[in-house]
Amino acid sequence: MTFTISRRTFLAAAALAPVTTRLAMAADGPLRIGYSMCLTGLFAQAAPSQVNAYELWKDQVNAAGGLDIGGGQRRPVEFVSYDDQSNPANAVRIYEKLITQDKVDLLAAPWSTPIHLAIAPVLAKHKFPMVGNTAASVKLREVKPGYIWFPTAVIPDKVGEELAAFMAKENVKTAAVFANVLPLAQEIKTYLLPALERHGIKLVANEDFPPDIKDMTTLISGANQSNPDAFIVLSYPSDTFLFATQAKQLNVKAPFVLSLIGPTIQAYQQAFGTGANNIVTVGHWSPNQSKWPKAKPFFDAYLAKYKEAPDALDSVLSFMSMEILEQAVATAGLDKEKLRETIASATFDTINGPVKFDGVQNTTTPTSFLQIQDGSLELVWPDQIKTKDFRPKTGW
Amino acid sequence: MFQQLLFAAVVSGALYALVALGLNLVYGSLRLLNIAHGDLVMIGAYTAFWSFTLLGISPVVSLATTTVLCAAFGFLVYVVLLKRQLGSPALAQRLEANSLIIFYGLSVILQNGASLAFSATSRGYQFLDGVHSFAGVSATGSMLLLLGVAAAITLGALAFLRFHVAGWSLLAVIERKDAAAVVGVNVERVQMISICAGFAIAGVAGVLVSMTQQITPFMGFPFTIAAFVVVIMGGLGNIAAGIAAGFVLGFVETFGVALTSATYRSILIYGIFVGVLLLRPQGLFGKAVQAR
Repeated sequence: MTFTISRRTFLAAAALAPVTTRLAMAADGPLRIGYSMCLTGLFAQAAPSQVNAYELWKDQVNAAGGLDIGGGQRRPVEFVSYDDQSNPANAVRIYEKLITQDKVDLLAAPWSTPIHLAIAPVLAKHKFPMVGNTAASVKLREVKPGYIWFPTAVIPDKVGEELAAFMAKENVKTAAVFANVLPLAQEIKTYLLPALERHGIKLVANEDFPPDIKDMTTLISGANQSNPDAFIVLSYPSDTFLFATQAKQLNVKAPFVLSLIGPTIQAYQQAFGTGANNIVTVGHWSPNQSKWPKAKPFFDAYLAKYKEAPDALDSVLSFMSMEILEQAVATAGLDKEKLRETIASATFDTINGPVKFDGVQNTTTPTSFLQIQDGSLELVWPDQIKTKDFRPKTGW
Repeated sequence: MFQQLLFAAVVSGALYALVALGLNLVYGSLRLLNIAHGDLVMIGAYTAFWSFTLLGISPVVSLATTTVLCAAFGFLVYVVLLKRQLGSPALAQRLEANSLIIFYGLSVILQNGASLAFSATSRGYQFLDGVHSFAGVSATGSMLLLLGVAAAITLGALAFLRFHVAGWSLLAVIERKDAAAVVGVNVERVQMISICAGFAIAGVAGVLVSMTQQITPFMGFPFTIAAFVVVIMGGLGNIAAGIAAGFVLGFVETFGVALTSATYRSILIYGIFVGVLLLRPQGLFGKAVQAR
């Protein structure tokens, strides 16, 4: 039996050859994960802790032979990312582009609550699931469940209630509360003040301050006159640094001192050394929690790669979000609806222990507090996950 | 508490006066609006940080190295970006407006260059953080150093302008550039030295703030804003008035907040700023000039 190939058939086959080869390669080619990041603009200093976690996750996945996309198939991972200039409107355009033009296989989260909230409708419109990470607000609960999830346990109403309970347990009777006017701080304060009252903690100072504050002499000196048991400073990194400098200068003696955002950044401990000891902050992860076997290896790998400790909030949440995505893809593959169902219903094993979502929220990770103890971040509240007992602050 | 507030006002005022001095030198002699000024503060802060953490060099030494580094950068900017334009009457006429674009570009390059080189991760280090108490005031060593250096530079600048012939040349260029040239002042040389000095002073301010603030590639912008507020309040190009306005701002900020609330800080500062623009557009200490 002989086959005769006409000249026309041969030419058609030759013309199609590059296309079919490329399609075959694409099937085995890298799996592309898109995200936007605030590489410049107002939030730029937050980007490295998140991008570093993404890159570390990618390295580990690729070193293991690629991302398991179900059925034993593995594909190497590559990122497609753009700078959103810390602007939610830019992020919306970027996620539209990632989905419709770049046609990425999966999405990773941007930085900040406003940008998460801004892109949620884009994800719903394209029915493209994404695990969020660095967003924290009671407004997250208003997002229609479906295509976005938030693993954080730093939800302001819970933070307010748990903080008051924690303070009461440590015999705090009087407190000074200073809050940045930015949203997270104000939301926490809204829930904290009534909770303090319920726990019988008297407020001796209650002041707001702007993000560009340059001097806290008035606030601290005024509160010092009442000698409160606690200074609760709902601050962001730049004012967290300012408060620590001036608390030392003005000899704050309160045994319970909390700064909201900043103490988990390595630069904070570099700048204040032993002065940072026994500062309390929000966060729900510590490398020293032995119940979470993945926590310490993550810390060690991050430290080895970047020569600095991961941020206990942003880096951890970012890595967790990628672990959740990884495990969901291994179960559901790349089909978006199956992926959505899996993320919404499964329990995931992460560096922060098990995570399961109810609606958009992670309902398994407890709202917790960290304390810097001899250079290490320890969980000191609540009892079921604490790694060390709370220590009163004795000096700067 | 009053003494403590007074000290806080003086420290804030000294920093504002120092940062604004550099900006005023550049505007006064070259009529350039350097909106990258705060980014030179950032360069100074990083120089101190890396020198201290990598090489163990004291930030006090970095005050000198940063002066040289930022002055050299100022020279480079002058030669590469400005000299040709300043030399051409047609281009020089448009340079004041164009300088906004030039320095905006420079600002973007410096911020993102630092971000690429060092990452945007916050940095910090411990230096002179011991607390000293005297006359009812508590102060860290770094605050006292800031006060000492700022006083030395601002008073030195005032003395230079008052008593040194080169200072008179600078004042002449600031007031009447063409007339200064007629009487033999080497305008080009004065302008070149002014931009070097302006950049160097911003760098020195960066070294000083690096001891108390977190260091990031984007830390400079608030200093640019503060410097512009101070310089415009004092009168653009008026060196002595700019220094005085720096202290006015420090006192308004500290005592205004003490008498009202911290949330009124921006309202107080920008309220006074707008008030000065409306009532004394020539600056708090400037003289009105009638157009003929």
